[in-house]
Amino acid sequence: MSDPREITRILFENFQPQAIYLFYAFGYAAIAVFLYGVYTQIRKYRRGQPDPSWGGLWSRFVDMAKTMLTHRTLKRRDRAAGSAHGMIFFGFVLLFIGTSTITLEYDILKPLTGVTFWYGNFYLWFSLVLDLAGLGVVAGLIYMMYRRKWLKLPKLDYTRPDRQPGDPDFDRSGYRREDWAFLWSFILIGITGFILEAARLVWLSDRPTVWDYRMWSPVGATLAHAMQGLGLTPEGASAMRGALWWFHGLLALTFIACIPYTKIKHIFTASASLMFRDPLAGRRLPKVPEEQESAGFKQITDLTWKQLLHLDACTKCGRCHEACPANAVGAPLSPRDVILSLREFANKALNAKELPEAAELDIHGKGVGQVFMETLWSCRTCLACVEICPVAVEHVPIIVQMRRKLVEDGDMEPILQKTLQNIHKSGNSFGESKRKRAAWTKELPFEIKDARKEPVDMVWFVGDYASFDPRNQKVSQAFARMLHNAGMDFGLLFEGEMNAGNDVRRVGEEGLYELLASSNIGTLQSCDFKTIVTTDPHSYNTIRNEYPDFGGQFEIQHYTSVVKQMIEDGRLKLKKKLDYRVTFHDPCHLGRYNKGFDAPREVLKMLGCELVEMGRNRDNSFCCGAGGGRIWIPDPVGVEKPSQNRMKEAGAIEGLQVFVVSCPKDLTMFEDALKTSGFEGKFVVRELIELIDECIEYEVWEEAGSEAA
Amino acid sequence: MKILVAVKQVAALDEDFEFRDDELDVDEDFLLYDLNEWDDFSLEEAMRIKEASEGEVEVVVVSVGPDRVDESLRKCLAKGADRAIRVWDDAMEGSDSITVGRILAAVAKKEAPDMIFAGVQSSDQANASTGISTAAHLDWPHAAVVAGLEYSPGASKAVVRRELEGGTLQEVEVATPSVLTIQLGINKPRYASLRGIKQAAAKPIEEMSLGDIGLTPADVGADVALSRVRRMYVPPKGRAAMIEGTVAEQAAKIIAIIKEYKGE
Repeated sequence: MSDPREITRILFENFQPQAIYLFYAFGYAAIAVFLYGVYTQIRKYRRGQPDPSWGGLWSRFVDMAKTMLTHRTLKRRDRAAGSAHGMIFFGFVLLFIGTSTITLEYDILKPLTGVTFWYGNFYLWFSLVLDLAGLGVVAGLIYMMYRRKWLKLPKLDYTRPDRQPGDPDFDRSGYRREDWAFLWSFILIGITGFILEAARLVWLSDRPTVWDYRMWSPVGATLAHAMQGLGLTPEGASAMRGALWWFHGLLALTFIACIPYTKIKHIFTASASLMFRDPLAGRRLPKVPEEQESAGFKQITDLTWKQLLHLDACTKCGRCHEACPANAVGAPLSPRDVILSLREFANKALNAKELPEAAELDIHGKGVGQVFMETLWSCRTCLACVEICPVAVEHVPIIVQMRRKLVEDGDMEPILQKTLQNIHKSGNSFGESKRKRAAWTKELPFEIKDARKEPVDMVWFVGDYASFDPRNQKVSQAFARMLHNAGMDFGLLFEGEMNAGNDVRRVGEEGLYELLASSNIGTLQSCDFKTIVTTDPHSYNTIRNEYPDFGGQFEIQHYTSVVKQMIEDGRLKLKKKLDYRVTFHDPCHLGRYNKGFDAPREVLKMLGCELVEMGRNRDNSFCCGAGGGRIWIPDPVGVEKPSQNRMKEAGAIEGLQVFVVSCPKDLTMFEDALKTSGFEGKFVVRELIELIDECIEYEVWEEAGSEAA
Repeated sequence: MKILVAVKQVAALDEDFEFRDDELDVDEDFLLYDLNEWDDFSLEEAMRIKEASEGEVEVVVVSVGPDRVDESLRKCLAKGADRAIRVWDDAMEGSDSITVGRILAAVAKKEAPDMIFAGVQSSDQANASTGISTAAHLDWPHAAVVAGLEYSPGASKAVVRRELEGGTLQEVEVATPSVLTIQLGINKPRYASLRGIKQAAAKPIEEMSLGDIGLTPADVGADVALSRVRRMYVPPKGRAAMIEGTVAEQAAKIIAIIKEYKGE
């Protein structure tokens, strides 16, 4: 064994001092360019509004580190890309740590204290780890190139659904070029690194402290043998190393200098975006401060710094584009494009030293980087985009904030305007008299308690659709019978109940939402009860997640978990089993919004149904198209609706008998879509409540009911 | 430059309404109040002129009615009206549309607008005469049922398109100042967001009483009304009925009805 101190790599071996100075000059220049870029980016973010996300920094950091180390979000719905990214990421991290270690010894410890450690066994292990890291990076990059070039993934097509061919920002070919420039420069750094390593081995093949330990750099050694086989001499290798060294070094420095100016910045922005993620994003929309003059986002500077950061975190992976129900049916909306448009806008408007005039900050309109009104109104706030984004971009809150501005300016469909006025006037979206809200109870053979007048265990918040829509009234009656039969102590708010406001808020009519929320909160607070149960996932979401911001702290459950409990406790006795082959549609507001995936499935199992999942289930459930107030805006005629798209997916299940839903709006949307998409007669759409109802026999009251009649 | 927009808070019937004991009107409990639909359009027309004009244009809304009318005026302020005036005195109770025209004319004399817009009619009373009687009291020119308007602030005349029978339009030149009654569909009224309405609550609504506009109790109210409500009622239902059942059953029922009429 040689002296371990000699087993190392001599830095700048055979370099003239001038060459070393030159290299350091380039190095400092690269760092300066990098730092200036970081400064301009931070200046850009600081031009946004304050954001309250600074709390709990340590737990935020831990969450971010966990997400990054597991690559959990990157592997979802695209395992191969996630793993390839993992190889690049971990390879890059190791190479970065390696380079920093060398800097620590060579530029800091050695000149200051004379201490060295980069030799011997440490050096050998170091070589091996970094060699494998480099191999990981190159392999990962090759997969990424393969996937871009040959897989033809629709999510990687930057063509926009909201622009026409010929528009300046139609296909964003610039992004494609940037992607390839990134991949090529990165892979060239890796490949030249290995060739450089091999050339050094060939060049120093007569030095035992180098050559004898070559297998600690397996990739370099293999290449060195190949190069020798091709007839490369030590002199040739030395010359080759000289030229390649500068190429590799300058390319790497350029890469570093480019970080803040190109997509490479996602190294920082995506990490920060993950760190500042809001677990309730979209589920709990931000309030409009009382003193704020106009609601919503009009200018790019109305976004918070965190949102500006989110814009920069987007890596165009296209997962949101793929998940979006509006995009799936050809509506002029892709969540990715909203984010990218605003990013381009922010980079144009906020990167300069001086802020431009207010008029040039307007993000609404038809110009490059502006967001169309039709785009904003196409959103169904189903949260599919927010949920799948691997870097925690929160699209929906931005879209709703922009809608708030549209609502304030009256830029909306006349029919939506009418609905909002109806809700204001009568407290429900059907424009019906308040007195008729509980009219559906009249057909029941028993009285339901008025929770405003007497104490009850459970207040049932019914919601508009379940109260006024004739088809859904049948379901409400069935649920009332079920609660009554099980001996539950429950009551209604009758005409005291107003539209819960979930969709009004997602439309962007914040003032009306405040009115509805405070009215319902006031009514609920004047009642004596323990919990709220609701048959409406939309009401469930806003009461659970948003009412607390307005002083309404209530315990609320969706009926699926209440019913599950009732069956388990034996309060609800199932008299027969169903042998249907069913599939279950997760309502956005129950599933993705509030993680209520399991209760309805367990109930289906208790009923004896055979559950066959659709491809898009649970967190990837496909919105029926009714969310975000879209139930009040007719979809364009002659174009596929999200609900029809969903019916086709269900129709592909062999022998399907029942398409089960657990949301009144779903029942309306899908019963309609069943007819219009040609599946009528093949299977039926049913509320879960109706299936449970089939398993219960109400002999006692049916007699009582007929006597009364 | 000033445009005065006369608006009215109208009543709509709730489900299953009942009449007052004196049978002259619907019981107040069953009424829902809102801004008259036509007034959305006349206010919008004024707002468009204001927004298109380079000079200063003031849009003033005025309404005759009790406290509850403030809510509707606030909606107008939320939509961008500069000022709102509510005229009321208990003596005005029971005024007919001609008298309301007299009151509005008195306000106009005080405000001296360059134009007055009113809705063609109100959805609850449908007299379609308040705007025109205002013009008569002022002795101003007027044009009714205006479905199109070309007017720039300060011009000595306006060109209006009036909606007539059978889908025809009549283009009329009218000297200003004048009173125009605006028809539905002339424009697309803007939406008053709830935040806007809430913020408008901070804007003052000017209140005027009889004295402020130079009238006396003898000029207004039920006593000077030229018409009087005698009774309000729902006429008995007609004999139309939906015939249900299978085709054969329907046919059988129709035959039975025909036979009944023939006296067989």
